[in-house]
Amino acid sequence: MDVFQHILLGFQVALSVQNLFFCFVGVTIGTLIGVLPGIGPVTGVAILIPITFGMHATTAIITMAGVYYGAMYGGSTTSILINVPGESASVMTTLDGYQMARQGRAGPALGMAACSSFIAGTFAVIMLTLIASPLADYALSFGPPEYFALTFMGLTLVTSLSGESMLKGIVSGVFGLILACVGIDAVSGEERFTFGNIYLLDGFGFIGVAVGLFAVAEVLVNLEEPLKQVFVKTELKLRTLFPNRQDWRDCLGPIGRSAILGFFVGVLPGAGATIASFLSYATEKKLSKHPEKFGTGIIEGVAAPEGANNAAAGGAMVPLLTLGIPGSGTTAVLLGALLIHGLRPGPLLFQSSPDFVWGVIASMYIGNVMLLILNLPLVGLFASMLRVPYRILMPLIITISAVGVFATENNIFDMWVMFGFGIVGYLMRKLDFPPAPAVLALVLGPLLERSLRQSLTISHGDLSIFFTRPIAAVLTIGALVSLFSPVFRAVWESTRTPGKEARP
Amino acid sequence: MRTSVRRVAVTLAAVLPGLAVVAGIQAATFPEKPITLVVHASAGGGSDIFARTLAAAFEKEKILPQPIVVENKPGGSGAIAFAYVGGKKNDPYFLLTAVTSFLTTPILRKSQVEYKDFTPIANFAFDEYMVIVKADSKYKSMKDIVSDAKASPKKLTVGGTQLGSSDSICAYLIEKAAEIQLNYVVFNSGGEVNAALMGGHIDIAVANPGEALELSKANKVRTLGVFSEKRLVGAPDVPTLKEQGLDAIYVQNRGLVAPGGIPGDARKVLEQAMLKYTKTDIYKKYIKENMLSEAWMDGPTFGKWLDAENARYHEVLKAMGLLK
Repeated sequence: MDVFQHILLGFQVALSVQNLFFCFVGVTIGTLIGVLPGIGPVTGVAILIPITFGMHATTAIITMAGVYYGAMYGGSTTSILINVPGESASVMTTLDGYQMARQGRAGPALGMAACSSFIAGTFAVIMLTLIASPLADYALSFGPPEYFALTFMGLTLVTSLSGESMLKGIVSGVFGLILACVGIDAVSGEERFTFGNIYLLDGFGFIGVAVGLFAVAEVLVNLEEPLKQVFVKTELKLRTLFPNRQDWRDCLGPIGRSAILGFFVGVLPGAGATIASFLSYATEKKLSKHPEKFGTGIIEGVAAPEGANNAAAGGAMVPLLTLGIPGSGTTAVLLGALLIHGLRPGPLLFQSSPDFVWGVIASMYIGNVMLLILNLPLVGLFASMLRVPYRILMPLIITISAVGVFATENNIFDMWVMFGFGIVGYLMRKLDFPPAPAVLALVLGPLLERSLRQSLTISHGDLSIFFTRPIAAVLTIGALVSLFSPVFRAVWESTRTPGKEARP
Repeated sequence: MRTSVRRVAVTLAAVLPGLAVVAGIQAATFPEKPITLVVHASAGGGSDIFARTLAAAFEKEKILPQPIVVENKPGGSGAIAFAYVGGKKNDPYFLLTAVTSFLTTPILRKSQVEYKDFTPIANFAFDEYMVIVKADSKYKSMKDIVSDAKASPKKLTVGGTQLGSSDSICAYLIEKAAEIQLNYVVFNSGGEVNAALMGGHIDIAVANPGEALELSKANKVRTLGVFSEKRLVGAPDVPTLKEQGLDAIYVQNRGLVAPGGIPGDARKVLEQAMLKYTKTDIYKKYIKENMLSEAWMDGPTFGKWLDAENARYHEVLKAMGLLK
């Protein structure tokens, strides 16, 4: 009853003409920012801070939150159309999304990404409404050992994502971990492999590496046969443009599971949308009746990570609103924005400013509906872009990528990183090494290293810390099983095969 | 008609002996274009909020005829921004946020530029620091911590950001004053430190008063002491560490510098504008909400303060074993 009254109050705030208008402005800007690679939600929200100065605090945060989850919707667009992941949370979407686009099914991929985002995003807001406060305690129960175990398990699942050869997937993942070592060592402050270059102090930027390995490499590969039409032409009919009945049947399970998984991972500060997206992709692949089809352009491979990253965006609002702890880069900027508007996020925010908190939460329901209405008509427009001849599309992809990469931190060095990794990516493609594990390991490497060293600092070097705490123990054992499962399976099969022979 | 007047003025200026007059004309017109305020950290952090609040106030109150544009150049604990602005020698159209890392990064990183390569414009305020523990912690005062740490050295965990950061210096100052040894655990951000503290994964943390007091009001943490000379106006109940017998005093400054060698008159214009900004309501509200202590210093005073602090940081970082 209490919750009902609160959310009613929230809708009263959110449904004012002014708040509705700015919610729409926010989600529209978010969609645009998500579509452009490079300018991610972090920068987008930061740019808006001074513009919202004159606004009422609630209106301002409604606008900025709209940019945040709006960008999650838009982020899938370039992943699907041109193999450019605009942010780390949409790397997984490229795997099947881009293959679908090449097969002339860009429309259903984009449509399913939008619908999955809507369903999972709305689920996250419902959870936020109902159980935000108890969840805060769950978020705090994750300490360094638990984060290490979670990240470790995530990385072992990378092996199951990689194409045909598991060994090549592991090699690619290790390559990513090595890249993640470059930069200032977070604990001791020493420089590692920077060779005196100040642009390497923070390591290789994710965007530059990802755009290089995916987009630039893709263009280079297609350059080998410049006259070949890369994309099967999409028929711009309503029937072929949107997911069909079979697509929906395939996706309902994955969307439901990814919403739950994404939300609970998103609640953990520091884990975030990236881990959520690939845990959910890996889960679907493990549960699927046809795991071998993942990566060839099946629609579940789009629905799962897109649902998970949107649910995680909603989940990340839990520690922000209940504890004042930002769970991701974008929520950190939102925290700054709250401070500027004279609100101090923390455990007291729900009591001291209920109209603000519930107004923002209610606006997220409305914003998600707006995003669905806004994004579905865009599907046709974006899908028709692939009808542009590839010889024109190619330089466009490179230009958009270069501008986007430059815009992330305003420096030209990242652009050279992009081109360098374009060549690396080309070689990897030629030798059949999947790029996704490398990129994910680059993102997770620092988290893995930090949480390992934090845990061992706390335990004075005793490894038992990963097995004596219940959550950590379950996750660590899960990781070990996942890592050694091929060995177990091989042993199992070798003991069974002779048995079978003996029977007849 | 107008052009001929200008031509006469130009001719006069050229003919008149002495550069002082020309410099005077230039200063009268400075700034002729927008000024870029480079933030050494990413969007959303303390320095970013500081810069964006300042830029918004300049625009609203029309403090200068030209706007201030904020640009983030994060990375390398400020090294990228320092090299960027440091390379704009003699150009008064650049400003840079200067906090602890403005001194510590060049000390730790053998970078090509150091604080002496910049022109100090002004210092605005100090960030204060507090020691916090979990609300149900057995530690009720600094004395409890010191006696427990003496009984079992390196056992108590204290969370903070990267070694060399303000947090790590605060932790070191406690160790030195109390002659104890703590177990310092490095986290990625202040938010993660607070989460680990509230989750009971670490024993002690260092936090800014704004967050510390909010969490303490909600009964999630307990504040044990503040690293200032005197008790804070906004938190009269929190004792200083000094009162508790620990000689550990620390603040982080919030200032602005410009590239080295800028014209003296431009420096003056900027300094005056900053002073005017500190009188605005926006600034007063910013100070109050972030629980900062006002600490205005004009350029020359700020310069002397930087000299003294630089020497102190050298000493502290060396004692912490971070300098070879």
